[in-house]
Amino acid sequence: MDGADLLAVYDRALPIVYGYFLSRCGRPALAEDLTAETFLAAADALRRDPASTVSVPWLIGVARHKLVDHWRRLSREERSLHAVADDTVPREDVWEVHLDALRARDTLERLAPHHRVALTLRYLDDLPVAAVAELLDRSVHATEALLVRARLAFRRAYVGEGCDD
Amino acid sequence: MTDPFAALRRPVAPMDPDPAFAVTLRARLQQALDPRGASMTVAPDVPAAGSGGGPRHGDLAYVSLWVPDVERARRFFGSVVGWRYDPTGRQIEGLSLHHGFWGSERSTLFLCIGVDDLRAAVERVRAAGGTAEEPHEEPYGLVSGCADDQDMQFALYALDPVGWPRPAANGAVQGDLSYVTVETVDAARFRRFFGAVAGWRFSPGRAEDGWGVDGIVPMTGIHGGHPRTTVVPMYRVDDITAAVARVRAAGGTSTDPEPQPYGVTADCTDDQGTRFYLGMLG
Repeated sequence: MDGADLLAVYDRALPIVYGYFLSRCGRPALAEDLTAETFLAAADALRRDPASTVSVPWLIGVARHKLVDHWRRLSREERSLHAVADDTVPREDVWEVHLDALRARDTLERLAPHHRVALTLRYLDDLPVAAVAELLDRSVHATEALLVRARLAFRRAYVGEGCDD
Repeated sequence: MTDPFAALRRPVAPMDPDPAFAVTLRARLQQALDPRGASMTVAPDVPAAGSGGGPRHGDLAYVSLWVPDVERARRFFGSVVGWRYDPTGRQIEGLSLHHGFWGSERSTLFLCIGVDDLRAAVERVRAAGGTAEEPHEEPYGLVSGCADDQDMQFALYALDPVGWPRPAANGAVQGDLSYVTVETVDAARFRRFFGAVAGWRFSPGRAEDGWGVDGIVPMTGIHGGHPRTTVVPMYRVDDITAAVARVRAAGGTSTDPEPQPYGVTADCTDDQGTRFYLGMLG
């Protein structure tokens, strides 16, 4: 019984899913909301397709989609979605720097949502570009362009050259 | 040259959320996964019982297994029927009907009956010769602790407009309560009292002075002629032969499985003398 599978894995999976959101968003209340959305979406997916296999990696996959949805919603609210559709690739110079972990995390939090999500999936989650593209529902080319712009925005914000827009 | 961004990599570290959040989410998941709820809304904040129908007046709203040593009973029933417990250890998780534990000298199953109008039901208890506390708020709802006119303790519960889904008559999953047997002193007196108080209607059962309560869930029957009142639960199991072996291995006693018209049952006691049945039902 697949519902029972989800409940059976719940105790083990809950801290992993919550830990994922807490480290990516930094706010416990938001992490709780996204955790709840993830498990309820998993229950919904199981109801629709009882043959799905419930596993922790599968749940993290659902969690990533919820993270993307969350930042996409924020993006729409901030009216910066137009930037995601831009396929032009600006010039990216080599940046020789050793990133300070705390300052880097702080910088990420100040980025526009569409930049933050791209860098989170590519670098914090260490996903290949193709996987990031699938999660963002973009072409690989558009995703690579987005990553270049995101890295440049990060660099400007890290170095202190102004806000990301 | 190493990509400076590679230093951002952060593998996921598990973090325990607030325990109250964990318990609440688990309960929401159980509701969401309820097969009877397949047509219900997916919105997490909408209570599930609207379209499926909640418990009805006269149904059991809650039961509690009264045992001398709760911890011992948790271990015993955990191993025999697979019960899992909430963090406080007082509630059994994953069952179709709220089921708790309570410490008491004598083992019995304590019944809490759901009623539409608690105030009126309290008056009816008193008018019928029983005793009833003034309704008071418990974490789970408005309750009145009562005793009938043969000194059986029970409780009344104000049914929420939106409560939990009405359980199946004989439970659904292993560990669910599938039948309740009230062994009482005077069955006729019992029928008069609970007929008046809870609206229970009775049909003759197969045994001499045995009666079934019509239409309530879980299915309940009463039997007269006993020296004192004891309520004996029957719990569903998937494999009764294996369950009987587990009862004996855990220090309880059990009859061998006995075929019945409705399934296979065994008559058991736990390792504290708590009587219960196991039922492998259709």
